[in-house]
Amino acid sequence: MKVLIVDDEEPARERLRQILQDEDDYEVVGEAGNGHDALLLAAKHEPDIVLLDIRMPGLDGIETAQHLNELEHTPAVVFTTAYDEYAVDAFEARAVGYVLKPVRRARLAAALAQASRLAGTTLRQVAADANLETQRRHVCASVGGSLKLIPIDEIWCFLADQKYVRAEHKNGHDLVDDSLKSLADEFPDRFVRIHRSALIAVDKIESIEKTTDGKSRVVLRDSSHVDDKELIISRRHVAEVRRRLKES
Amino acid sequence: MTATSESTHEAPQAFLPDFCAARTLFVIVLVAELVAIVLTLAAHEAGAQFLVELSKTSFFVLWLALLGSAVMCLLRNTLERAGKTRAFVISFFVLELLSLVLAEVSWQLVRFFGSSTIIDDTHSTFLLRTFAISSIVIALAMRYLYVSSEWRRSIVLEAQSRISALQALIRPHFLFNSMNTIASLTRSNPPQAEEAVEDLSDLLRATMSSPKDRSSLKQEFEIAAIYQRIEKLRLGERLDVRWDIGELPMRARIPNLTIQPLLENAIYHGIELLPDGGQVLVSGKHDGKYLEIYMTNPVAQGKKRGKTGNNMALANIRQRFQLAYGNRGSVDVDNSDNHYKVTLRFPMEEAAT
Repeated sequence: MKVLIVDDEEPARERLRQILQDEDDYEVVGEAGNGHDALLLAAKHEPDIVLLDIRMPGLDGIETAQHLNELEHTPAVVFTTAYDEYAVDAFEARAVGYVLKPVRRARLAAALAQASRLAGTTLRQVAADANLETQRRHVCASVGGSLKLIPIDEIWCFLADQKYVRAEHKNGHDLVDDSLKSLADEFPDRFVRIHRSALIAVDKIESIEKTTDGKSRVVLRDSSHVDDKELIISRRHVAEVRRRLKES
Repeated sequence: MTATSESTHEAPQAFLPDFCAARTLFVIVLVAELVAIVLTLAAHEAGAQFLVELSKTSFFVLWLALLGSAVMCLLRNTLERAGKTRAFVISFFVLELLSLVLAEVSWQLVRFFGSSTIIDDTHSTFLLRTFAISSIVIALAMRYLYVSSEWRRSIVLEAQSRISALQALIRPHFLFNSMNTIASLTRSNPPQAEEAVEDLSDLLRATMSSPKDRSSLKQEFEIAAIYQRIEKLRLGERLDVRWDIGELPMRARIPNLTIQPLLENAIYHGIELLPDGGQVLVSGKHDGKYLEIYMTNPVAQGKKRGKTGNNMALANIRQRFQLAYGNRGSVDVDNSDNHYKVTLRFPMEEAAT
């Protein structure tokens, strides 16, 4: 089995490497010091299991795990943590694999043997229970086999075609793997639905204008490349959009 | 944003006794009667006349005491809100006013009923005497209440700070991470592992055995440096601490375990969350009378460590500063966009050698 080790602290990675060297069934295919590198390495080496530290600067463990789900070859995840009462309770409750530092040989072997893939919803529940950030701060787009992380606060809107969801953001647009519904559920404060297949970032809305044929349309701040037709607010969403705009 | 006034420990505690309570009333009546006896004893010889004089004085003093209690009982909530010093000043003047009003009313009543033998004094001397006596007695009583409430408060504070000193020992997070580091070094770099175990032991010894509540700056900085060495093993290049403290008098006294917890906070909430790490700057100055120590660390933008900010260490240091220095020491936090700065200010005291 191929294992990827992710931890921001070198001695912690070394400890895992030392233990795994003694095990016959596992091969360490890479080590990453942060979430971004972890995603790149995971796409490249297609590990079966990722050992993931929860507390890391930048992308933390939970968010990294969520993005790992977007990979074609989704790895199983085992979290590592030094001390986290809440996280540990949450992991226990949802049968998420974890090991405590200092890492015990036997415990690690057991966790690896039982490692399983984690659904995004499970991860979100765990994060909520553990008092951690539940919302991702990036969404993930797969571009030509590699993953691209788009910061949430740079996204103007999500538009759904028949099959894909497109994120329009500061630097262009990309197809993301999340469904519009799951995005709406995950970021209820940030985005507002203007019609069946569009979510708009509330803080990117300049105003609401009337079109010549009497419909309402969203005007975005400094974004010219979103087609006006896609920004028409459907009649049943007008009141909600106005309310949200007023609140912000 | 300066959070100077943020009070972390001030439990709402009454500094004035509850004047509405029967027990307090009993004590007040007792004290008033004693005052009346003292006044009568001072002015008259013992004899048949004495009891008459005593009853007249008692009548007046008791009226004043009971009315005063009633007023204090009514004002209680307002006074508690006003803050300690103001409450005492307000009560003093209110009671003073009350005694003058009462004196005037008695004078008028006595004159109205026409028996001049009750008060054998001229109008102005009577008011003046009442004013002087009541000022002294009320001032003494206020002083007594103030001192005893300060005393009670310091007992409470001390108890609290003892408890939180226990709680503020090294974070488990740090302990387990260090153990993990040591486990790893044991194989890859045994001499370094040895050193780490020694450092960790020194640090634990310092935090566990602290019956004395003051240490010198020198010792404080040494403990913090040991802590820094252990964290450095884990964080490597990401952790940089600059000690700009050459100017400070190393023999100066400081509540112990102050610097290390602050450094721990700076690392835990700051450096650890920055992908490229950063520098903690420790600096200070002194003017012979006061010392100031500053600890500044960069913080990651828009990222909090969990949702529950852990400010136990800071609250603990505040409490111990309050206990050690009262108003002469302070712990201020300046939490700007990407920097976090703690300023300690306390009077200079040299440690005995």
